Amino acid sequence: MADPTALLLREQYNNPVQQRESSTFGMWIFIMTEVMLFGGLFLAFTVYRMKFPESFIVGSGDMSITLGAINTAVLIGSSFTMALAVFSAETGNRRMLSIFLLATMFLGLVFLGIKFTEYYQHYQEHRAPGIWFDYRGPNPGQVEMFFLLYFLMTGLHAVHMFVGEGILTAMLIRNRAGSFSAEYHTPVELTGLYWHFVDIIWVFLFAIFYVEGLHLHKL
Amino acid sequence: MAQPAVSRKTYAYTFGGLLALTALTTLLGFIDMGPMNVVVAVGIAAVKASLIAAFFMHALYEGKLVRVALAGGVIWFLILVSLTITDYIGRRWS
Repeated sequence: MADPTALLLREQYNNPVQQRESSTFGMWIFIMTEVMLFGGLFLAFTVYRMKFPESFIVGSGDMSITLGAINTAVLIGSSFTMALAVFSAETGNRRMLSIFLLATMFLGLVFLGIKFTEYYQHYQEHRAPGIWFDYRGPNPGQVEMFFLLYFLMTGLHAVHMFVGEGILTAMLIRNRAGSFSAEYHTPVELTGLYWHFVDIIWVFLFAIFYVEGLHLHKL
Repeated sequence: MAQPAVSRKTYAYTFGGLLALTALTTLLGFIDMGPMNVVVAVGIAAVKASLIAAFFMHALYEGKLVRVALAGGVIWFLILVSLTITDYIGRRWS
C-alpha cells in the first residue's frame, strides 16, 4: 500500500483534491436549491407580514420566547459540536469524531423535543390552523395565517432535522467501520455543511416568528 | 489535508458570538420599536448566518467556485424578494 488515498479515489477523478472539490461544490449547489425551497416560504411570510402587520405581531406574541431562545442556543451548540466533529475528522481523531457526532445528534434531539413541546402547547391553546383554531380577538383569519406559516416553515425545518439525524447516524456507523481518516473525511465535511445550513434556516425562523411580539409578551 | 481548515479557537469564538447575538436579539425584542423590531431581528439573523457560513461552513476558506455558488443563491433570493415586494407596494388598484 504505497498511497492509502489511492483506494479512496474514484476512477473519474485525477486526484483526491479534485474529488473533494467536486463533492464540496455539489453539496453547496444542493444547499442553494434548499435556499430556493425555503426562500419561497420566506417570501410568502414577508408578503403576508406586510399585508396583515398587526395580526402577525399578535400571533408572534403567542410564542414562548423562553423555549424559542433556549432552542436557538441548543441548535447553535449542535453546530459547534458538528464543527468540532469536522475538526476531529481533519486531525484523524476517530474517537473524538464519534463523540462529537453523538453530541450533535443528542443536541438535535433536544431541539426536536423542545420544538414538539411548543407544538403541543400551541395545540392546547387552540392555535392549530385547520385542526383546532380558536382566536377571540380581531381578524382571526389573519392570525391563523401567521400560525399556518409558522407550522409550515418550522415543520419543514423539523423534517430537515430528522434527515440530519439520519445522516449523522450513517456517519457514526461509517466512522466505527473505520471509513474516515485525516486523508479522507469528505462525507463528514458535507454532513457539517448540511447541518450548519439547517441551523442558518432556524436563525431566520427565530428572528421572524419569535421576536416581533415580545414587547406584548408573556414569558 | 493534514492541517485543519479552521482552528478550534475560531470555532469557539464563533460559537460565543452566535450566543451573544441570540441574547441581543431577545433583549432588543422587548423594546417596542414598531416596524423596526422585525428589521433589527432579521438584520442580526443575517449577521449570525454570515458567521455560520464563513467559519462553521468554511465559506471563507473555500475556492472561488463555492463562493460563486453561495453568492448565486443569496442574490437569487434577494431578487425574488425585492421584485415581488416592489410589485405588491406598487399596486394601487387592490
